[in-house]
Amino acid sequence: MEVKLLSEHYGDDNFKTLEGYKVKGGYEVLPKALKMKPEEIIAEVKASGLRGRGGAGFPTGVKWGFLPNNGETRYLLCNADEGEPCTFKDRMMMEKAPHQLIEGMIISAFAINSPKSYIYIRGEYTYAAKVVEKAIKEAYDAGYLGKNILGSGFDHDMDIYRGAGAYICGEETGMISSLEGKKGQPKLKPPFPAVQGYLKKPTIVNNVETLAAVKYIIRDGADSYKKHGTEKSAGTKLFSVAGDVNKPGNYEVPLGYPLLDLINNECGGIKEGRALKAAIPGGTSAPIITAEEIEKATLDYECLAEMGTMLGSGSIVVMDDTRCMVDMMKVISHFYHHESCGQCTPCREGTGWLHKLVSSVIDGTASVSDIDLLCEVANKMKGRTICALSDAAALPVLGIVPKFREEFEFFIKEGYSKVKGRANA
Amino acid sequence: MLKCTINGKEVEVNEGTSIIEAFKSLDEDIAHYCWHPGLSVAGVCRLCMVEIEGNPRLQIACNTLVTDGMVISNQSEMVKDAVKWGLDFHLINHPLDCPICDQAGECGLQDQYMKFGQYDSEMGQQKVKKKKVVDLGDKIVLDSERCILCSRCVRFTEEVSKTNELGIFNRGDHSEIGTYAGKPLNNDYAVNTVDICPVGALTSKDFRFRQRVWFLKDKPSVCTGCSTGCSVDVYFNQEGLWRVKPRYSEVNGYWMCDEGRKIYKSTNVMNTEFVGVRGEKKAVKVQNRLTQAIHRKDNEVDYFLTSKALENLREDLKSVDKAALVLTGQYTNEEYEALLSYWKSQFKGENVFHWTNHEENWNDFDGLLIRGDKNPNTKGLQSSLEKHGISVEKDFSKLTQLTHVFVAGPENQWVYDDINTKVDIFAKAQKVIWFSAGLVPVSEDLIGNFLFIPTKTFAEKSGTFVNFEGKEQSFEMVESFVSQALSLTEIVSVLQGDSLTWHKPEQVERVHNEFVHERGTM
Amino acid sequence: MFELSTQGQEFVKKELQRYETVESAIIPSLYQVQKENDGWVSEEAIGYLSDFMGIPAARINEVFHFYTMFNKKPVGKYHVQVCCNVACAMAGTREMTKTFLDEYGVKEGEVTEDGRFTFTKVECLGACDKAPMMQINEDYHENLTPESARQLLKELK
Repeated sequence: MEVKLLSEHYGDDNFKTLEGYKVKGGYEVLPKALKMKPEEIIAEVKASGLRGRGGAGFPTGVKWGFLPNNGETRYLLCNADEGEPCTFKDRMMMEKAPHQLIEGMIISAFAINSPKSYIYIRGEYTYAAKVVEKAIKEAYDAGYLGKNILGSGFDHDMDIYRGAGAYICGEETGMISSLEGKKGQPKLKPPFPAVQGYLKKPTIVNNVETLAAVKYIIRDGADSYKKHGTEKSAGTKLFSVAGDVNKPGNYEVPLGYPLLDLINNECGGIKEGRALKAAIPGGTSAPIITAEEIEKATLDYECLAEMGTMLGSGSIVVMDDTRCMVDMMKVISHFYHHESCGQCTPCREGTGWLHKLVSSVIDGTASVSDIDLLCEVANKMKGRTICALSDAAALPVLGIVPKFREEFEFFIKEGYSKVKGRANA
Repeated sequence: MLKCTINGKEVEVNEGTSIIEAFKSLDEDIAHYCWHPGLSVAGVCRLCMVEIEGNPRLQIACNTLVTDGMVISNQSEMVKDAVKWGLDFHLINHPLDCPICDQAGECGLQDQYMKFGQYDSEMGQQKVKKKKVVDLGDKIVLDSERCILCSRCVRFTEEVSKTNELGIFNRGDHSEIGTYAGKPLNNDYAVNTVDICPVGALTSKDFRFRQRVWFLKDKPSVCTGCSTGCSVDVYFNQEGLWRVKPRYSEVNGYWMCDEGRKIYKSTNVMNTEFVGVRGEKKAVKVQNRLTQAIHRKDNEVDYFLTSKALENLREDLKSVDKAALVLTGQYTNEEYEALLSYWKSQFKGENVFHWTNHEENWNDFDGLLIRGDKNPNTKGLQSSLEKHGISVEKDFSKLTQLTHVFVAGPENQWVYDDINTKVDIFAKAQKVIWFSAGLVPVSEDLIGNFLFIPTKTFAEKSGTFVNFEGKEQSFEMVESFVSQALSLTEIVSVLQGDSLTWHKPEQVERVHNEFVHERGTM
Repeated sequence: MFELSTQGQEFVKKELQRYETVESAIIPSLYQVQKENDGWVSEEAIGYLSDFMGIPAARINEVFHFYTMFNKKPVGKYHVQVCCNVACAMAGTREMTKTFLDEYGVKEGEVTEDGRFTFTKVECLGACDKAPMMQINEDYHENLTPESARQLLKELK
């Protein structure tokens, strides 16, 4: 069953305007929040159990707590560089409910005492950027942004910044580099952004969905928010479902919701009544799970971690039994080869190597021992780099190849796809 | 102070020390390419992996600070595996063109392979092809295929020279080092990028294809290029000097200027010069050193052994009581001391001239290392003169009235652009006794009576220079290249009738570098 | 000689003031150059921006080459970017791109003879629920079929 907090008014075309937003109770939480003490808001967010919705799932309140009290200017950055393949939840929120994000951001900025925030929007999202920019202007005109917001004495400025086509800018320090006008290459940690981020100042980077959720946590209270979801995975989450389902789209369900139910109920089952083969549960960076595993999978951080995969950004690619896993692997490894920023050697060289190895299976130049090499290379790329892109490139290999090894062996020995058959070679 | 344990050895380090610095302080081997003590931390080569007790994940030593009681190792199987694979990732797209690569013999990849590698390549796929010979101006050639993208050179032009010529363009395994629109990398410190390049991606036009580094030895010395007095390493073999590289010291940090790198040429008997022949640049061997004593009267030339020439001179001087001495700031304290003592006793310390070069620029400073005084020891000369109570004359028109003129001429003649004018002035004296390491440019039709005595260069003698800030820097003899050359001290000894003793230079090993302390064995 | 329009110059000047550091203006300025230079950025334009913004050319060039949305060579009037990441690839965009290339007789990244099109395969554009999709200049075109896509291209003059 869908539980709509964030996506309640997605159907209302007027909701993206200030007027339409206010009709549905928009900017009613902000005055309440501005009357609270910042530490009360942080405590509420901590108590809600909200975890970062961008992919890493780090507790938001805890992250905010890392800010040092050194009197330096703090920045709040909204990560709207939604690049994880098959994720489109943030784009939709920006296009349909920009004020909800802005309100959540002002509240969050107030909580962490930040005078300036940026929404870093993926370059390709031209339309979303226009909508958000317009909404920011409306918010300024209505006095929700700028000096002395609603007479509270709190000043806050907000701006957007457009990326220009680089997946790595979704990594928080890559995004900071990009915002600083450099190549979007991740920075060494430590120092973490909360201590030294944008321009070496204390910086909090949160995902679009995370910041919007803050509004609802303050509106309803942590206890109410926690009623949704599981003990460790609290609240609702937007899932982007794509692939071989009848009704792909964004669905907001409580965390802990069974994956199979989402596929069969909300998404209307597998296309043309075919059989479910596998699904990637958290963006392409997450290891794949088979139909058998899907039956046991619930959409929360813990269950998926136990299965050796992850919730990630909450994008689900569903694959039916006509899908060739060697082909899927090639598409995925091409992506990481294309997107590696080139900074750390294992990732820069490894992503290309993986892609070439997978391609060689299809080209007919691979030998069976290359399957082991593929896994070995992926293993050695893991945990050895500045950011998680290297892991993100390795994990799909370590999911798909062992689980569908016979498809790779077949391809190498026979020269065509086991699933597609000789006719489609 | 913090205590930590590195590979079982306890060591104390200052707060704020990184693990890699702690390893270096213990002379413990640690694989690395991108880290350089004079640059910011990039943390990208991912080779300096260490295991820290209590931490399940390997950490990079360059970006991890030592904490008190930390137990660190890079000897475990997990670290060795990470380094082995780290090297593998570096090598998969590397062209492995060692036979034609100038870095061979001092290459980080080769050394690391000998230390940690020695295995078969597992990469069977096509390598990424990149540009191989990119001309970056007068000094440097880039081979971007060899580049391992450690970003040292980029950080150098950003952080040290602040000239920002270099960048890494594109991303992933198509990342390539380069300059915008192929602009030259010609800043005054550009060749430092060649030094810090761990592979053969950036090579020096002056050095490339001239020597294999395994035929070279190196010894520490002091740069004679200007009054900064950078600490340097001089690379040499029995034929001569081949290059100069900076050595870390408080004076110059890790760097030196490109101008200073030319000083090796003053020592070589023959130098290769590139001259234009019918529109093409051709390498030509040109004699540089004065290899024996030469007596040149008008256009009659006689050659002597230095000892014989000096004995004759000694006899000659018995009847001379008024002579002039011309000094340049290019000799050591010890030589000034010997020469000025002699001058004092022989000629009452009179008529001493200081031949300066562009004194008006002496206080120039580029903010990094380059100073306007192109003499390594002006300060030493000045204090030696002061000590002997000798005041100097700078008006050279007074010279011509004297019968004998002694000249301790410049070793780096190219910084004395008035040398031809001076030759003409000196020629008017009855006799010119010119101590010089290099051949002095005297035109064929010049009328004059010259005795040229070959002297040693900085590489052939030991001594002390005093730099611009009064810092005394001693250096040892590197090797002897011109057997007939003497230091001024030795010349004075002979003039005083003493005999000379021969000092054999200390023997040194062949070239070593920063990446590994001990070489692998075949 | 490339030069920004007066309006473009004003834009860049404003961007230089807009953020905490001048370097942050590089990306917006490159967008402006691309807009005024028929959809791509020349090497010469980087040099122009460097002088205009007072930022070393190598730094701007690094940024320029890092981001895929800046075109390194001329593109057609319509830059057709077909998503070929997982969901769209499953929906047949790779095959669809091949038919485009065959039909217009060009290779990926080339400009068609009439200057109308450049076809590029791109990574996920975040519209996977409406796969197959492609982006033509700034606009998304979703839920395509091979036929509807061909028709769409035909209508672009």
